Amino acid sequence: MNFIPDQPAEIAPPSPHAAPAGRPLPREAAPSHALVRIPAPELARRAQMERTRGRLVLAAFGFATLFAAVGVKLTLATILDPLAPRLRPAARVPTGEPTVTRAPITDRNGEVLAVSLQVTELYANPQEINDPIEAADRLLTVLPGLDRERLIARITQRNVPGTETPVQFAYIARNLPPRQQQAINNLGIPGFHFRPAERRFYPQGSAAAHALGQVDVDGRGIAGVERHFDARLRDDRAPLRLSIDVRVQVALREAVAKAIGDFNGVGGAGVVLDANTAEVLAMVSLPDFDASDPGGLQRRAEGAPGQRAEGAPGQRAEGAPGLRAEGAPGQRAEGAPGQRAEEQAGGPAPTTGRRVPVGRGAAAAAAVPQDRDPHFNRVTVGLYEPGSTFKLMTAAMALDSGAANIWSSFDASRPIRYGRFTISDYKGKNRVLSLPEVLAYSSNLGAAHMALLLGPQRHREFMGRMGMLQRLGVELPETARPMAPSPQHWRDINTMTIAFGHGISVSPLHVVTGVAALANGGILRPPTLVAQPEGAAREGTRVVSERTSDIMRRLMRLVVTDGSGKGAEVPGYFVGGKTGTAQKTGPRGGYLQDKRIAAFVGAFPMNQPRYAVYVMVDEPKPNAQSHGYATAGWVAAPAAGMVIRRIAPILGLVPETERAPQIQQTISIPLQPARPPRAAPPPAAAAGAVPRAGNAPAMVPPGPVIQPPGPAGSQPPPLRRTDAPMGAPAAPGLRLVAMPPLEAGLAAR
Amino acid sequence: MSGTFERRLLTRDRGNGWLQKLWLIPWSFVLLLCAVAAVGYVALYSAGGGPEAYAAKHAIRFGFGLVLMLGIALVDIRFIARFAWLGYLGGLALLVLVLLHGNVGKGAQRWIDIGPLQLQPSELMKIMLVLALAAWFQRASWERIGNPLFLVPPAIMVLVPVGLILKQPNLGTGLITAIIGGAVFFAAGVRLWKFALILAGAGVAAPIAYEHLHDYQRARITTFLDPESDPLGAGYNIIQSKIALGSGGLWGKGFLQGTQGHLNFLPEKQTDFIFTMLAEEFGLVGALTTLGLLALVVLFCFAVALRCRHQFGRLLAVGLGTNVFCYVFVNVAMVTGSIPVGGVPLPLISHGGSAMLTTMLGFGLLLSVYVHRDAEFGPARD
Repeated sequence: MNFIPDQPAEIAPPSPHAAPAGRPLPREAAPSHALVRIPAPELARRAQMERTRGRLVLAAFGFATLFAAVGVKLTLATILDPLAPRLRPAARVPTGEPTVTRAPITDRNGEVLAVSLQVTELYANPQEINDPIEAADRLLTVLPGLDRERLIARITQRNVPGTETPVQFAYIARNLPPRQQQAINNLGIPGFHFRPAERRFYPQGSAAAHALGQVDVDGRGIAGVERHFDARLRDDRAPLRLSIDVRVQVALREAVAKAIGDFNGVGGAGVVLDANTAEVLAMVSLPDFDASDPGGLQRRAEGAPGQRAEGAPGQRAEGAPGLRAEGAPGQRAEGAPGQRAEEQAGGPAPTTGRRVPVGRGAAAAAAVPQDRDPHFNRVTVGLYEPGSTFKLMTAAMALDSGAANIWSSFDASRPIRYGRFTISDYKGKNRVLSLPEVLAYSSNLGAAHMALLLGPQRHREFMGRMGMLQRLGVELPETARPMAPSPQHWRDINTMTIAFGHGISVSPLHVVTGVAALANGGILRPPTLVAQPEGAAREGTRVVSERTSDIMRRLMRLVVTDGSGKGAEVPGYFVGGKTGTAQKTGPRGGYLQDKRIAAFVGAFPMNQPRYAVYVMVDEPKPNAQSHGYATAGWVAAPAAGMVIRRIAPILGLVPETERAPQIQQTISIPLQPARPPRAAPPPAAAAGAVPRAGNAPAMVPPGPVIQPPGPAGSQPPPLRRTDAPMGAPAAPGLRLVAMPPLEAGLAAR
Repeated sequence: MSGTFERRLLTRDRGNGWLQKLWLIPWSFVLLLCAVAAVGYVALYSAGGGPEAYAAKHAIRFGFGLVLMLGIALVDIRFIARFAWLGYLGGLALLVLVLLHGNVGKGAQRWIDIGPLQLQPSELMKIMLVLALAAWFQRASWERIGNPLFLVPPAIMVLVPVGLILKQPNLGTGLITAIIGGAVFFAAGVRLWKFALILAGAGVAAPIAYEHLHDYQRARITTFLDPESDPLGAGYNIIQSKIALGSGGLWGKGFLQGTQGHLNFLPEKQTDFIFTMLAEEFGLVGALTTLGLLALVVLFCFAVALRCRHQFGRLLAVGLGTNVFCYVFVNVAMVTGSIPVGGVPLPLISHGGSAMLTTMLGFGLLLSVYVHRDAEFGPARD
């Protein structure tokens, strides 16, 4: 051991009190002057303790000083310079755009369809809540519908996941009525705050849900008109007047719903169009949703009844969509809306044009096939093979081009074989048919021959002119582009099948818009959802001549009086139209057996068409009243008749039953028109077109009356593979392998 | 003369004089602790609006703590010194355990459940660290302490638990642990220039460390510098606390009359802000009285250190005293807005079983030091 020089190895014992206490003094040490023999290390240790004694005192002194310091500080804070409580500054909370008020939306008669109302939102700052359980229990006395566990979790102090920033904002309830707001205020729980907000209400419920669309929790339009006119609705406080007539809308919805119910369909669609302005008076897609319940809570509750059993009634009662995902968990308050805005910028799903507000809903939506998704707008997004309704297009094309005349006849006596395919008629007459007969009996063979008179190129041109190859210009974000063969792939076989509405898919709105143009004198106008000024003529494109339109009106009327559309007849309103039944395509292409679309498209009154109507039922099943049929004649035509019966009086149309025979005279056409006497061209054969006669065909008196068939409807696709193996099952045999690109496209839909 | 009596007692009847040892316990100090705990009972009674919420539990816990403390006081200090290492290693193990399996509370892993008890190992660790450091320095001479290599192991002994506590993360307790370690080093005789060196190094490192702090820890520091900058956020606690202090005045609003506390403006009023609660209801007089009682407790620790004849007991008493001082100082400084909010409870007053247990454990050790202040350790070795 090395001692530093000033440390003596042995020292006399210091003062008695420093002697090693706890150790009896050695007996040898009794003589007072004798040196105590103490081992050197022990001495060093004692020296050490002596040295550090000063340090202890120093430390104690330092601590005492610090105690004094906090004492002084305490005195300052308590009596000398107390901090007086001051009024809270105005709540610094995520206010978003606090005063933005969205313009209301009305129907064409000023009936309110959507309106924004001032509501109160309740939120919590978990940082200010000391006892979440107690706070939650007290809050639950006023809002018993909230889920206790979730509420506690939301108001418990925590950090934003993945960061160290504490959560300072958590939604508790939206849309509080004033009475509940007052009750919560009276509880006086610190950490709960209110802020004003707006909520979009849809007084008509689900009546025009698809057209209106919806807004997200921040009041931004995310679907339908709300999205298309989002900027307009924000900037201009004046109500946005739609072309919708809510009375017509409700009537149409009920009729379509009844048809779906009667025939146990999975869904349906309906449109009522002003035939002359192309204003959409009603647009229905079923199943639909309650526009005021955008999260679809009810729907999900039906899907999973147990999940919110206890919370359900209260939440519904207070109108709060429950505990939603908080805007921006714990962002500094101001950050919250911004984050949501970014989410919104991500945009809605392009197909359905809506954003599912809650995560669980998104998963559900992905699982629900389009057919059953209530947010799916069949009218504008649904693409269906139009089936026999397209024979109207084919006839109009053939007549307008001069390739055919009303007395033209077409060979429907035997199937057409084309490559491996055979086109045949459903309940065919197996003879040569006149042009009116082709429509009345809905002959695929006749339509195919008719279209072949012009050939693929002119057929495609005409379809393009009719708007059947482009997206519709209606004021909705949710529109679909029709699926049709490309110019290179549009061959004779395509023309033949498209002539009777197969091998092409368009939306119901396409069909009704085109039929309106055929009926209204030949002017095609893009459909619109915005009310047009009274009496102002809308710009349009002439697609067929007045004369062709006149013949088409007679032909449509003929289908209802003598053909498959009898169910749509409403006495006094001179309904005309065409039925169409088409098989649905499966998810991987190919047609699905027994899954049909039954549609009726028409217009009324045919002497002076005012409104075009479309009704469709998705996957109808035969019922007892329909004698085993689920074709359009049995399903859609009566539904259309019901619609017309109800809406015509609403729209101010008086049934003209007294003058009915005279009027009927002006819009009738014989099933087998005779050739006009002056002109004597050879009858149009199946293979050839007759050059157009220079003068208009006179309306000859009715020919021999032919008993029309019952409401047999139109036919499923008649293409059959002739090379199918003998024992092959029927369903796979019904494949349109001739058009793989189209089928692939359908599959992807 | 009692000194003689004690000496005889400790040498002849070692391990056999439990009853006699009881007489050596400084009962005035036990009385002082009871007074502090009574203040805590009153404060918790008010914080809970009655005895049920906190106060009754507090009394029961203090009762158990008293028994624990007196039991430890009778254990021979040399026995404690011999097994200080075990305690230290056990504390470390608990710290690791809490990092791996601890309950996350308020953004940090600090607790582990032991039966009905929620234990905060960092609290226990401070005491175990003091024990281990005292054992290490116990036989060291002035010269050995002057040797820097001799200081490396105890420095590691401090840094490992501090690092684990910071990792939880618990900045306040981590710093306090380091300060306690430093106090033992200081009392042991480590040269002053070494402290100056370390402080200088810390001064340089502080800005760098600030960069690595968690956001909420930075928020506390910036809020401390200007609490009004964020009255609804991190500054909320301090402002509410200061308002409560100011509203108390000299004599206070009276028992159960504190509005700030009772209307829940005060956060954590039963734990970290219990002192504010006291100050609001009993005014500056009550607050200073409480502070004075706690200062007496710290003072007693140093008195024990000075009276103790062995380095182990002395360092132990200094470390325990520093621990209590840090609790009190940080807590009172925090609620008065003098230092950043740290979440440190007030010993014997704040609600909390774990803190009570470790506090009483520490006082038990302190009493053992006092009872065995003249005990003789073996000769120092090189």
